[in-house]
Amino acid sequence: MQRAFHLLRRRLISSIPVLLIVIVGTFLLLEAAPGDAVDAYVLSIGGGDPALVQSLRASYGLDQSLGARLWLYLTSLARLDLGWSVTFGRPILDVILERLPNTIWLMGSALALSFGLGSILGIVAGARPGSMSDRVLSVGSLALYAVPSFWLGLVLSIVFAVQLRWLPTSGIETIASGKQGFERALDIARHLILPVGALGFIYLALFLRMMRAGMAQAWRQDFALAQRAKGLSRRRIVLRHIARNALLPLVTMLGLQAASMLGGSVVIESVFAIPGFGRLAQEAVAGRDAPLLIGIIIVSALLVILVNLLVDIAYALLDPRVGASGATT
Amino acid sequence: MTVLKRLLRTPEGLAGTIMLCLLALAALLAPIIFPSDPLSIAGPALLPPFTDAAFPLGTDRLGRDVLAGLVHGARASLAVGIAAAAVAVIVGALVGTIAGFAGGLVDEALMRIVDAFQIVPSFLLALAFVSVTGASLTVVIIAIALGAWTGPARLARAEVLSIRERDYVAAARVIGMHPLEIALRQVLPHALPPVLALSSVIVASAVLIEAALSFLGLGDPNIVTWGSMIAEGRNVLRSAPFLSIIPGFGLVVTVLGVYLFSEGLSDAISARKTTN
Amino acid sequence: MASTAMPSLLMAQEAANGGRLIVASDSEPRNLNPAIVASNGVFFISSKVIEPLAEASFEGENGLEPRLAISWEGSDDGLSATFKLREGVTWHDGTPFTSADVAFSALEVWKPLQNLGRLVFENLEAVETPDDHTAIFKFSKPTPFQLIRNALPVVSSVVARHVFEGEADIAASPANNRLVGTGPFKFTEHRPGEYYRLERNEDYWAEGLPKVDEIIFRVLPDRAAAAGALEADEIQLAAFSQVPLTDLERISKVEGIKVYSKGYEGLTYQLAVDVNHRRKELADRKVRQAIAHAIDKDFVVKTIFLGYAAPSTGIIPKNAPEFYTADVPTYDFDLDKANALLDEAGYAKDANGIRFKLRLLPAPYFTETRQFGDYLRQALSSVGIDATVVNNDSAAHQKAVYTDHDFDLAVAPTVYRNDPAISTTILVKSGTPAGVPFSNQGGYVNPRIDQLIEKANETMDVAERTELFKEFQRLVAEDLPLINVAEWGFITVARDDVRNVSNNPRWAVSNWADIALTP
Repeated sequence: MQRAFHLLRRRLISSIPVLLIVIVGTFLLLEAAPGDAVDAYVLSIGGGDPALVQSLRASYGLDQSLGARLWLYLTSLARLDLGWSVTFGRPILDVILERLPNTIWLMGSALALSFGLGSILGIVAGARPGSMSDRVLSVGSLALYAVPSFWLGLVLSIVFAVQLRWLPTSGIETIASGKQGFERALDIARHLILPVGALGFIYLALFLRMMRAGMAQAWRQDFALAQRAKGLSRRRIVLRHIARNALLPLVTMLGLQAASMLGGSVVIESVFAIPGFGRLAQEAVAGRDAPLLIGIIIVSALLVILVNLLVDIAYALLDPRVGASGATT
Repeated sequence: MTVLKRLLRTPEGLAGTIMLCLLALAALLAPIIFPSDPLSIAGPALLPPFTDAAFPLGTDRLGRDVLAGLVHGARASLAVGIAAAAVAVIVGALVGTIAGFAGGLVDEALMRIVDAFQIVPSFLLALAFVSVTGASLTVVIIAIALGAWTGPARLARAEVLSIRERDYVAAARVIGMHPLEIALRQVLPHALPPVLALSSVIVASAVLIEAALSFLGLGDPNIVTWGSMIAEGRNVLRSAPFLSIIPGFGLVVTVLGVYLFSEGLSDAISARKTTN
Repeated sequence: MASTAMPSLLMAQEAANGGRLIVASDSEPRNLNPAIVASNGVFFISSKVIEPLAEASFEGENGLEPRLAISWEGSDDGLSATFKLREGVTWHDGTPFTSADVAFSALEVWKPLQNLGRLVFENLEAVETPDDHTAIFKFSKPTPFQLIRNALPVVSSVVARHVFEGEADIAASPANNRLVGTGPFKFTEHRPGEYYRLERNEDYWAEGLPKVDEIIFRVLPDRAAAAGALEADEIQLAAFSQVPLTDLERISKVEGIKVYSKGYEGLTYQLAVDVNHRRKELADRKVRQAIAHAIDKDFVVKTIFLGYAAPSTGIIPKNAPEFYTADVPTYDFDLDKANALLDEAGYAKDANGIRFKLRLLPAPYFTETRQFGDYLRQALSSVGIDATVVNNDSAAHQKAVYTDHDFDLAVAPTVYRNDPAISTTILVKSGTPAGVPFSNQGGYVNPRIDQLIEKANETMDVAERTELFKEFQRLVAEDLPLINVAEWGFITVARDDVRNVSNNPRWAVSNWADIALTP
C-alpha cells in the first residue's frame, strides 16, 4: 500500500511539466479560436448590445491580456483552485466532481467489458488459430470495431429500449425516482447497460486481437512445447500458461485505452444523454470555456495516470519478474 | 516479392488486399463514373434503394444520389485516412528519431510534449481543434494527426535507441557525419518499418474519427464522406435506415480491409524473418 | 422528494388533476431568468415559474390575455402607459406581489439588462406606483403603445423585488437560476445534465389551476433520443421540433402519440439569406435579385421542411396579420431570369461556367439551416455562382458573421416577435455596431429605410404606424438587403394522454397552467 502511494506521488510529481504543457497548449488553442466565452453566451441569449458585451467581458476578466489571464490561472491552480466556469456560473471543481462519477462508471464498465470479454474471446480464438471459431470471432469483432460508436449506440437504443422496451433509452438513472441504496445502484446499472455495450463492444476487437496474437506467439515459444511434451492437456496449457503470458500486453493496452475511451465517451454520452465528462468537454468547447476545458483535461489526465498506476500494480501481480516501475511510461 | 506472395497466400492477406484494391479502384474512378458533383440534387428525395434504375442505391433527404455519394465518399474518406496517417507518421517518426538520437535535454523536452499529447484524449483534442479552427478537409486531417503522431514517435524513438549503438551508426560518427545527418540518413530508414506497420491502424481509426466528427457536425460540408453520409442518415434512421447502413458498410469494409491486410502483412513479414 | 414521486392509483382515478409530466429539453440555459434573457430556450422552462404582465392569446383583444396585469392603456401622447395589476397574487415564498415588483423589474432589470427590453424600454424614465396594484410607466420620449403592447408577452416577465434588491450585480445573481415567481409551478430542483423539476404551486391565483403536480424537463441533447424516449413512454411531450421533422410521418402513426403543428404562431422563425453588402458583386441589387430567383422556395418548404413551413414573401411573416402585406415585389423560381440578371450586372460565365466565387456560412443552430446551406450551394452553382460552404460552431459563426463580417452569404434563422420594431427592423437598419447577433451586419445602408424605421418609432397612431411598416416591407422586398426564403413554426409531439396542448400562439413558452394528464 505504502509503495503504491509512493509510486502515485512520484507519478504525480513527474507529470507536472506535462500538465503545464497541456495547460498552456489548451489556453493557446482556445485563444486562437474565433469567438470567446462572451460571444457564446450572448448568442445563447439571442443577442445583446455592445455595452452589454463589453461589461460581460470585463466582469469575466476576458478583456485582460493572454499572459495576465494565464498567470492568474496558474497561480490559482497552485492553490488547487480550478477557477470559475462562465458556462455554468459555478466553480469548475463542483461542475467536474458532479460529472466525474458517471464517467468513471461508464468508462470503467466499458473497459472491464472490453477487457474481460475481449480476453476470453481472444483465448477462444487463439486456442485454435485458424479454426472456424477463430475466424468468425476475429472478423466479427473487427466489423464491430468498424461501426461508428454513435451508430451502434442509436441502433442498440432503438432495438432494446424503444422496440423491446427491456431497458431505458437514455439517462443515468430514473428521474427524481427517490430510489436509494441498492435499488438506486440497480437502476443506474440498468441505465448503463446500453451505453457501456456501445462503447465496450467497439474496443472489444482491440483486446480480442491482442490476446489472440499474444497466444499465437506464446504457442510458438519453447515452453509450450515443453508443457505439451510433459503430456498436459491442451486446455490446461492454454489456460494455465499461454493465456497468462498473453495477458500481460493486454494489461498495458488497458492503460493506453483509458485516454482513448474518455474521448469515445463524448459521442456515447451525447447519444444516451448521460451527464458525464465527454459531454461536459463538448459543452466547454462550444462555450469557449477555456478554464473548464483545462480543468477537464487535468482531471482526465489524473484519471489516466491513476489507471496506469493500477495497470502497473496489476502487471506486477501477474508477472513477478517485472518491478512495479518498468511496465509503462 | 516473396513478402507479397506470402501475403497473398494467407487468407487474411488475400481478402484484405482484394478489399483495399476495390476501394482504391472506386476512389480513383469516382470522377469518371460519376462526373457530376455528388452533392448535387439529382432526383426526388428519399427514394429507396433498388427501385429506380437511375439511382440504384436510392437518394437521400435532399434527393442526392446515394451511389455517387458512396463512390465519392470512398475517395474522401480514404484521402482523409491516408493523409492523416501520413502526417502522423512523418511528424512522429521525425520527432522520435530526433529525440532518440539527440538524447539528453532535447529528448526529455520532446518526450514530455509527447506525454502531454498522449494524456489528452485524442478525440477530445480533434474536437477542440476542429471547433476552434473551423471544419475543412485540411483541418480535419491535422486534427486527427494531432492525436495520432505520438504512437509513431514513441516507436521510432525506441527503435532508434536500439539501433543507435550499432556499428554502422558508430562508424558514421567516426567519419565525422553531422549528428542530424546520421539521424536522418542512417537511423531513420532502419527505424521506419515498424512505424509503417502502425500506420495502417492509424488509417482505420482516422476514417472512424472523421465519421464521429461529422456526427457532431464538424465535418467539411463541401465534400461527401461516409461519415457525413451516416451523420445525415442518422436523422432518418428510423424511416430510411438504408441511408446510414450503406455508407456504414463502406466504413466496415475499409476498416476490415486495412486490418486484414496489415494482419496478413505482419504474418508474411514474420514468416520471412523466421525462415531467414 | 418522495411525496409526489409516484402518483398512486387512487389519485389517478380522482380526476384529470395530478400526475407528473415529463418533457424533453435540448438545452440548459446558463441564465434562467426570463426578465434578463428573453429567449425561447429560457422561456420554455422559466415561463411556468415567472409570469409576464400579459400573454399571447388566440381569442383575446389585440391578441393578448391578462396575466399579472388585468388591464393596460397607453396615453395619446405616448408618454405614459398605465397597468392595473392583479390582486391577491403571492410570490412562491409567500410575499405578496405588488406594483413595486413591477417598477423594480422594469427599471432595474428590463430596461438596463434585458436583451430585448433595452430596445423597447429605451425611453422609460420612471414607473409610478400610486397604489399597490397600479403601475404607470413614464417615457422621456413618445413611445408607441402598439409596440409596448405587442412586446408584453416577451419583455414583461416580472421578478420579485425582495429577491434581487440590494444585489450589486443582478445579471450575475445566483437567484437567476433559483427562480422565485408567481406562476403555476415552483422551481424546485436542477440537476445539471439531467433535469429540471417544477412543482405545483398550491397557492396559484387562478382557481383550480395548475392541473398537474409536477413538470420535469429532462435534458436530452440528441434529437433522436427524444423520439425514442417518447415512443418508450419515458417522456410525454417534446416541443420545439425536438422530434426531427423527418421522423414526424413515422411517429404520427405510432399508437398513443399525437403531432401538433399549432401553438407557435407568436414565435415565427424566418429562414433568411444574409448578404454582405461590402462584397462588390453582392452590393449590386441585380445580383441579389438573381439569387432570389435562383432559390426554389417550394423545394425548400417541401423537401427541407417537409411542408411544415411556408414560403416567404418578405421580411414580415404571414402570420403577423396586423402588419403583413402581400403587396410587395416577389421573386419566383426562374433560372433564366436569374442568369439574365447576372449577365446584365456584368458577371459573365467563364470557361468553367463560373461567374464568381463566394463563401456561404449557414447558421449551425438548426438541422434545417444547415440543410438549406447545402441546398443554396447547389442553387447558386446552377446559375454559375461557386459557393463554398463554411460550417462553424455557434460561437465561431457568431464571431465570423456578426463581429468580423467575414462572410459573403450567411443563412440566418431570425425570429419575428409580434412587432417589427422588436427584432425585425434591426435586420436592415444601418448603424448597428459590430457584435450584435441577428442584426444588420452586412453593412447595408439605405437612408429611405432608415427614415421609415425612425418615423414608425415616433408614430403614435396605430393605423398610421401599421401603414408605415407596410411601406417598409415593400421597400425591403424591392431592394432585397436580405433574402427571406421561408417561415416556420415548430412542432410539438405528445402522448395522447396529455391535454390542452398548443392552445395559445406562444404555447411552448407559456405557463402551462391548464396542461393535464388524463389517465
